[in-house]
Amino acid sequence: MAFALRLFLGFLCLLLPATGALAQQPAGRAADPNGKVTVSGYLKDAANGEALVGATVVVKSLGIGATANEYGFYSLTLPKGTYTITYTFVGYEPQNTPLVLSENLTRSVRLATQGLQTDEVLVTGKKPDENVKSTEMGTSRLDMKTVKLMPALLGEVDVIRSIQLLPGISTVGEGASGFNVRGGGVDQNLILLDEAPIYNASHLFGLFSTFNPDAVKDIKLVKGGIPAQYGGRLSSLLDVRMKEGNTQRLGVTGGVGLIMSRLAVEAPIVKDKGSFIVAGRRSYGDLFLKFVPDQKDNQAYFYDLSAKANYTLGDQDRVYISGYLGRDVFAFGKDFKNTLGNRTGTVRWNHVFNSRLFANVTGLVSKYDYGLGVPEGNQSFDWKSNIVNYSAKADFNYYRTPQSTLNFGAGAIYYTFLPGRVTPISANSIFRTIALDNQRAVEYSAYLDNEQTFSPRLSAQYGLRLSMFDYMGSGSTVYEYEGPNGWQKTPVNPRQYAAGKLIKRYPNLEPRASLRYSLNGHSSLKASYNRMVQYIHLVSNTTASSPLDVWTPSTNNIKPEHADQLAVGYFRNFKDNAYEASVEVFGKRMDNQIDYINGANTLLNRYLEAELLYGRGRAYGAEFYVKKNEGRLTGWVSYTLSRSERQINGINNNEWYVNKYDKTHYLSVVGIYTLTPRWTVSSTFNYSTGIATTFPDSRYVYQGLVIPNVNGDVRNNYRVPAYHRLDLAATYEGKPDPSRRWHSSWTFSVYNAYGRRNPYSIYFRQNADNPAKTEAVRLAVFGTVLPSASYNFNF
Amino acid sequence: MNRIATFFCAACLLPLAGCLDVVPVDIPEGKPLLAVEGEITDQPGPYYVTLTKTAPYFDEAELPRVRGAVLTLEDSEGQREVLREVSPGRYATSTVRGKIGNQYVLTIRAEGEEYRAETEIRRTPEIDSVRAEFRAKTSTRNEGYYILYYGEETRGVGDYYQFKVFHNGRRLNQPGDLIVTNDEMVDGNYINGVELTNEEGVGGVFKKGDKVRVEALSITRDYFYFLNEMVTQINNVGLFSTPPANVRTNVRNVVAGSEKVAVGYFAGHTVRTDSLVIE
Repeated sequence: MAFALRLFLGFLCLLLPATGALAQQPAGRAADPNGKVTVSGYLKDAANGEALVGATVVVKSLGIGATANEYGFYSLTLPKGTYTITYTFVGYEPQNTPLVLSENLTRSVRLATQGLQTDEVLVTGKKPDENVKSTEMGTSRLDMKTVKLMPALLGEVDVIRSIQLLPGISTVGEGASGFNVRGGGVDQNLILLDEAPIYNASHLFGLFSTFNPDAVKDIKLVKGGIPAQYGGRLSSLLDVRMKEGNTQRLGVTGGVGLIMSRLAVEAPIVKDKGSFIVAGRRSYGDLFLKFVPDQKDNQAYFYDLSAKANYTLGDQDRVYISGYLGRDVFAFGKDFKNTLGNRTGTVRWNHVFNSRLFANVTGLVSKYDYGLGVPEGNQSFDWKSNIVNYSAKADFNYYRTPQSTLNFGAGAIYYTFLPGRVTPISANSIFRTIALDNQRAVEYSAYLDNEQTFSPRLSAQYGLRLSMFDYMGSGSTVYEYEGPNGWQKTPVNPRQYAAGKLIKRYPNLEPRASLRYSLNGHSSLKASYNRMVQYIHLVSNTTASSPLDVWTPSTNNIKPEHADQLAVGYFRNFKDNAYEASVEVFGKRMDNQIDYINGANTLLNRYLEAELLYGRGRAYGAEFYVKKNEGRLTGWVSYTLSRSERQINGINNNEWYVNKYDKTHYLSVVGIYTLTPRWTVSSTFNYSTGIATTFPDSRYVYQGLVIPNVNGDVRNNYRVPAYHRLDLAATYEGKPDPSRRWHSSWTFSVYNAYGRRNPYSIYFRQNADNPAKTEAVRLAVFGTVLPSASYNFNF
Repeated sequence: MNRIATFFCAACLLPLAGCLDVVPVDIPEGKPLLAVEGEITDQPGPYYVTLTKTAPYFDEAELPRVRGAVLTLEDSEGQREVLREVSPGRYATSTVRGKIGNQYVLTIRAEGEEYRAETEIRRTPEIDSVRAEFRAKTSTRNEGYYILYYGEETRGVGDYYQFKVFHNGRRLNQPGDLIVTNDEMVDGNYINGVELTNEEGVGGVFKKGDKVRVEALSITRDYFYFLNEMVTQINNVGLFSTPPANVRTNVRNVVAGSEKVAVGYFAGHTVRTDSLVIE
């Protein structure tokens, strides 16, 4: 620990001389002594006041510029003089502003969207040449406008399904919850909704994601070269930002689909000063159940509510409050009930200390919980489990020079885990109360990172993150475990820990770096390295993660997972950025990966750790990506060739085996074509290698039942057949009527257009009528063509 | 509690247009291994052990019997006997008497290999009664008679049970009928009517006039895990299926690390029985 701290402090000292100006910067508007002045402010959408994340500010005569941060704030330091400053953002009319700079200046700018005459669809919300110019690699952004035009399952626009069309991102099967990034597990993605972690991003067991597309403004997925600001998961960061709400006028957006309906309302609180948005969705399949006599006592629905408000308190301060509540409810009459969902709350305060120092302070709470039970009768019980975290952090952007931006900050997350508690709820219940010990932990972090332009050709972002995890007592008993790997181990050496008493501390240093070298104006080479540490783990022993899976902290037995990832890439744009292309190659090493003994019981198990196994993981691959940004036809082709394996003592005779989510080939093709100004058609095609699974080679009979067996107890020796699917969609825009604000559109889509029965899994069973006969059975989640229509409107 | 898991799997498939098809799969033929099925109970013997060999998964022929093996059973009181082969591959005891609290070691010498299996017979609660109760039709079940278990559970966590239900003399024996449970959630409580049947198992529910017999077995922890893994592997369907894996065994080759492993189980358990005719 002391060593880690010293290293971190040493690193701080290395960078700190550069930050000297931080303290010296006068609060007033005077220029700094070496004759430079700063222009800063916010970039916003003229129509609705939304911050333009990633918009650029450029002084063409000097060839320098800056990019707006995630709150739309920018800062550019220049020598005194007269300049033309150009503000640009894809899809918006650029604005050229002549400025006489003799002192520090605040200049907030509103950009108007490009005129309606362009019938083009824009695939990104970033600068046209960002692909080759930024140090970012392994990063994908999806613009909600694009996502809304792509074919969607049952017509429901879905953030998480859409990102699965990008290179390096896959899933174990349709309907499976979560996603896998570069050969990592579903729990290795940090999913943030307005900075609050989401612990289960699915509705209806994984069919739909928890994010309401009408409330989402921007989605960014980072799978390599992850900046030091983020940590806590091995594989990726999915940063979902909610809309801020229209600061100019009341706006209503809604839609009616086969599965659910949506409504979002946004309006100014005080025009130009503050606004809010409230968006909700609810599925209504259960309403039809009421008309079926057999089913009228059954319930199956979900809903979610997203809300956000912001208010500007003068030039320097802005406050945001956002919240999310999602719930799934299933009930079978009085026999069984299950509810689950996420809730989050985030409060943020942006403060501009001076024109070069921007700060954001965040306080948040996030909870995922589920309950299941039988409401009455002699088998009544109520089962609860949850994970809750409270978090506070401060992040700073210091625009030191046009060539250097320092990002630094610190934070802490306090976790409580309720792994499971069962209580009887009627006097005659046969069940007794069982409560597993609560668990508590605190995760601390501090980071410093520098975005540096060394020359027009070479730029870098490098930083260091110090993280530390304290596993703490809560009046709980902890054990150590003894015994051979592969079997239930025996708990030994029980020790009692009082609430708040430290059980185990894990400090870690996480270096991060990425580098961009421009070969010329339209191509560059990039390289990145990052070390990631993960302190909380999802205990999931099923093919697809289930909503009943429980998160566990790192404990005295479960060690934090580490990953080292190295990636290099070649990025090139063609035809004046009309096309962008990239090739990235990555390699990743992971340790302390968790697996399970055969037949492990992961629920309500006091000695869960006795059934866990730990080992190494490795993943490597190449990702190819070509995207067409302009013209009537836009879209992309993405292909990933990869491998993901692990080696766990106690599984597969201690030899390496492929992960269940290993995909050798993964191909996505997305095309969006503007047929007429009112008709847009789109199509996506997917191909992937089938998931790895274990097939038996022999059978035996016990108690008259046929049991499959595989010689040598090998793991994942086979693949289910390949998965491929074609989806189609068409969007029809209502006739634009300049006299009315009402705007509507119809979206028609066909999911699984050629009705392939894609195997989700293959399992083996004895024939129900003739036990001597054995058979292999394919489960296809969607075995048919699924057409749908939805109606969307806004005014 | 197993019922809940089943419920949950059904629930998650309900809203899907999911479908199941029997498909051809090409898999290699595994090498034959010794397969053991045997038991010793607290009821009077003889007790039987059957030895077969594993066969290729899609082979429909009866499993080959292992003849001429030498099986020795020894209990913790020092009694020891060699089993007789009463029919091909089927071996029987004649003197050893199973007793609650005793441990047993079965040694098998077959085809040049030697295997050992250890087990014990644990304490058991008594059945109060087994009853049949008429249940009306609901959204999750058909109407008919359901078989319920009544009895005290022994105080102290760590008891494991299997229930076998016989319908007009024939055991309900589809993969879904295998019922194993533990006392983690019900320790020391009176079990006042837990369903032992569901409609799928019998291809319909019980009717008036049906003869019903229930066997309650108190089993060891390891055998519970064996049966539980077996339940998982033979009903392994759905979104949240577990990765296929071999079911454990307590029959070990005395040469550690030998490729000639065995499968199956030699189990010690009690048997308590109650029966009724539905009126």
